[in-house]
Amino acid sequence: MRPTKDFFDAERKKVFTPGPFFTERVLARLGQPPRESGIWEVIPVSTRSVLALALVLILCFAVVQVIIPQIPQRGMIEAYLEADQNPAESFLYSEADVPSGQEFLEQLIAQEDQ
Amino acid sequence: MQFDRELIVRAQAGDRSAHEAIINQFAPMVFRLISRFFRAREDVEDLAQDVFLKLFARIDQIHPEANFPGWLARVTVNTCYDELRKTRRRKTAMETYGPDLVAEKSLAPPEPELFGKARLALQGLDPKLRIPLVLKEVEEMSVEEIARTMGLTQTNVKVRLFRARKKLASILGGSERNIK
Repeated sequence: MRPTKDFFDAERKKVFTPGPFFTERVLARLGQPPRESGIWEVIPVSTRSVLALALVLILCFAVVQVIIPQIPQRGMIEAYLEADQNPAESFLYSEADVPSGQEFLEQLIAQEDQ
Repeated sequence: MQFDRELIVRAQAGDRSAHEAIINQFAPMVFRLISRFFRAREDVEDLAQDVFLKLFARIDQIHPEANFPGWLARVTVNTCYDELRKTRRRKTAMETYGPDLVAEKSLAPPEPELFGKARLALQGLDPKLRIPLVLKEVEEMSVEEIARTMGLTQTNVKVRLFRARKKLASILGGSERNIK
């Protein structure tokens, strides 16, 4: 007995035939305009919403960076004290333009003398 | 298969009646081939539609003197192969990540009949092995025809047939000679 041969013989008889409207269906699909295959169609449907949200957030960030002017980096305390400082004292609180050596000592002594 | 080559020329010119004639003439062959691999009528019809849409999308590439039925059989088998691979991937994913189907399995008949076993074994084969085996055993194609249809060498087809028979026999627990 060759059971698998019987199986293949039985399989040979199981054939579907086209339905009465098969040709019409194919012709109808043939008449449809071709689907665009842009980058959006390539991305899986499940990830499109996540990608769209990420793109919107990136755009918002870029717009905020471009439109809103940058504020100089200066703290509140520095801005408050700046008004009370005279130019001679300013070097005590600022690292910029610190005079060096002898000149620095003379300026300090002059402050004390006053 | 008798075939009017003029139909191809007319179809290439966009003649709708030629499209219709080609579908009417070759739909039974396409359906028969797809039926060898898929059990649901809806699947067979969907795939047959895809085959004809592919055919008309590439109609300009067909030479009227070429073996059109052979070319169409090749497109059909390739379409089945792609779908079988997709189905296999989905099945593997469902078995790995899907819900536990133990309860549903227990509702199935405890011991499937011999044909059921053979069908399950055949469905379990890799499409690379399953397609040549079905074309040989069910469609009764020669090795040369299978090689032409699948775009393989005859040696490659023979190797695949040998592996398919061996694997099927090991699944069914019988002798490989049974399916020669």
